Amino acid sequence: MSGSFATVVDIFLNSMVLGGVLLIVAIGLNIIYGLNRVMNLAHGSLYALGAYVGYTLVALGLNFFWALFLAPVAVGLVGLFIERVFISPMRHRPMVYTLILTYGLMFVLDGAIKFFWGVETRFIHLPAFMRETVYFGSASYPVFRLVILIAIAAVMCLLMLLLGRTKMGFNMRAASDIPEMISALGVNLRVVQISAFVLGCVLAGVAGVLAGPLFTVFPIMGHEMLISSFVVVVIGGLGSLRGAIAAALLIGFVQTMAEFFISELAMVIVYMMMALILAFKPLGLLGEGKFE
Amino acid sequence: MSNTDSPALNGIFIGFLGGKRSGGFFLLAVLALVAFLPFVLPNKFYVRLVNEIMIYGLLAMSLDVLLGYTGLLSFMHNTYLGIGAYATGLLLIHLSPSSLWLAMLGGVIITCLVALPVGWVQVRTGGLAFALLSLAFGMMFFTVAWKWYGLTGGDDGLMGVPQPDITFLGLRLASSGNSTAVYLFTMFIVAFCYLITWRIINSPLGAVLEAIRENEERASFVGINVRLYKLIGWMLACGLAGVAGSLYILYRGYTGPGSMDAFSGARVLMMVLLGGMRSLWGAVIGAAIFIFMQDYISTMTEYWEFFVGLVVVLLVLFMPQGVAGLTGLLNRGPRGK
Repeated sequence: MSGSFATVVDIFLNSMVLGGVLLIVAIGLNIIYGLNRVMNLAHGSLYALGAYVGYTLVALGLNFFWALFLAPVAVGLVGLFIERVFISPMRHRPMVYTLILTYGLMFVLDGAIKFFWGVETRFIHLPAFMRETVYFGSASYPVFRLVILIAIAAVMCLLMLLLGRTKMGFNMRAASDIPEMISALGVNLRVVQISAFVLGCVLAGVAGVLAGPLFTVFPIMGHEMLISSFVVVVIGGLGSLRGAIAAALLIGFVQTMAEFFISELAMVIVYMMMALILAFKPLGLLGEGKFE
Repeated sequence: MSNTDSPALNGIFIGFLGGKRSGGFFLLAVLALVAFLPFVLPNKFYVRLVNEIMIYGLLAMSLDVLLGYTGLLSFMHNTYLGIGAYATGLLLIHLSPSSLWLAMLGGVIITCLVALPVGWVQVRTGGLAFALLSLAFGMMFFTVAWKWYGLTGGDDGLMGVPQPDITFLGLRLASSGNSTAVYLFTMFIVAFCYLITWRIINSPLGAVLEAIRENEERASFVGINVRLYKLIGWMLACGLAGVAGSLYILYRGYTGPGSMDAFSGARVLMMVLLGGMRSLWGAVIGAAIFIFMQDYISTMTEYWEFFVGLVVVLLVLFMPQGVAGLTGLLNRGPRGK
């Protein structure tokens, strides 16, 4: 009995952690899509960049939590550069251009990561207290995973406060609904769109630093995460934040279960589930564009 | 129809390739030239390079049917080349070590059987979700090819593929171990596929596909079953990719998961972009330029990925003519438009 209790706790917490990381990446994608109508295929590489910058900051002697704060800022700056230089000129062209463009950017970023950090796998060094294990009755769990879970919850709370309680958040939600209206009210729509893009990139960076200790850091870590977050975005409904939350937790749970029971081909189960959901609900669980 | 920088030049090519009489002559002239190459090129290496160009030209052409004519973006069309290659290879190993035609036919049929349910799911969603799903399914098949060691040989790839004789109407022509024979065989198959595809694109079916690309809503208003025709376009593209795959295993005698990864998908997309969409010969030209360029740059730098990405970005930013006319695709355009 105690063994099965430990397994249940393990699966539950692991799927929460995985779902949480997926959620932060997918919400970043959704915020960018909701305001800019750009599906950022370089998002996974920005996530990897976040992990690498976090690794370097920790290797330079900074605390993990400082890295968690600073690396996303760096990724946000890269995002600002990308928006100004590459995305902005594409604003009045059909979406296929930005899709292919960001696909190219993904390879540029991957190449840059390999150039600066090489192809070896890296490990983010954690503070001593996070390397211990905590016991609940018969079940045990590594502390760092709990800390990451709390960090994910904190990031989500901050994001909800930002979107729900601040002027910028109001503007973003309004602009995702009727952009012309927000312009008519005297708000600079471009600034709102740019800040949404940067916010999405910052979230990718946060997820990268959080995922570093979970999955180790390697150059194409972003590809897997990009695909998984697409699955979340498509299942939840494009641009839908609530849909993303439901879908991320669902995928986190299914993937953890599949990894636990059949290991190697876990992702195939996830794709099968996605195909099944889309066969019956082509627009995803919550339909499209409910940005709230 | 014009989509290159120079309408005049384009007109000439359309005259040659799309015209009533001169098109056939021009194609024959090109074929004769290509057929002559293995006998004049000093180095076997270049023969193999041109062989690869023809295979990827066919793949790029099949992606163009999907992207340029039907208006659907598939990020990982190489997946279906990979499936075709694995299927043909497995058939050659396990079922028909002596009959090449049977193995190739089986390989293409298996590719279509795999592509059908995937396409069925993909066409139910919108333009953007279609593109995202193509990436997700592509990664799924890549994972299967990579991890299913028992069937695909995993990381090592499919090895020990037999080399049956190339026969025609019961007549033995050559062994497929002979690179010149494979080269000529590839050339005839690719030319045949080109003609078939050209015929389909310029038939009422092709017109329906283009109508869907231009405006999905209007197409459905005039009574076109949009999902069905998108699926037909998808199946045509995947079937052609399967043919390219069966030629690929014949040419390499080996296939691995590497041909199915996301990066190879970007390469195919770039061939189509380079050559210009909505033109079958353009896709083949794009493949030629790309493969020569890749061969050149990869000898100079190991960060090839970076440069490929950069070229894609620059192409989209500064040479949008290559992507012109895709207005109907993913018709949820940018805001304010």
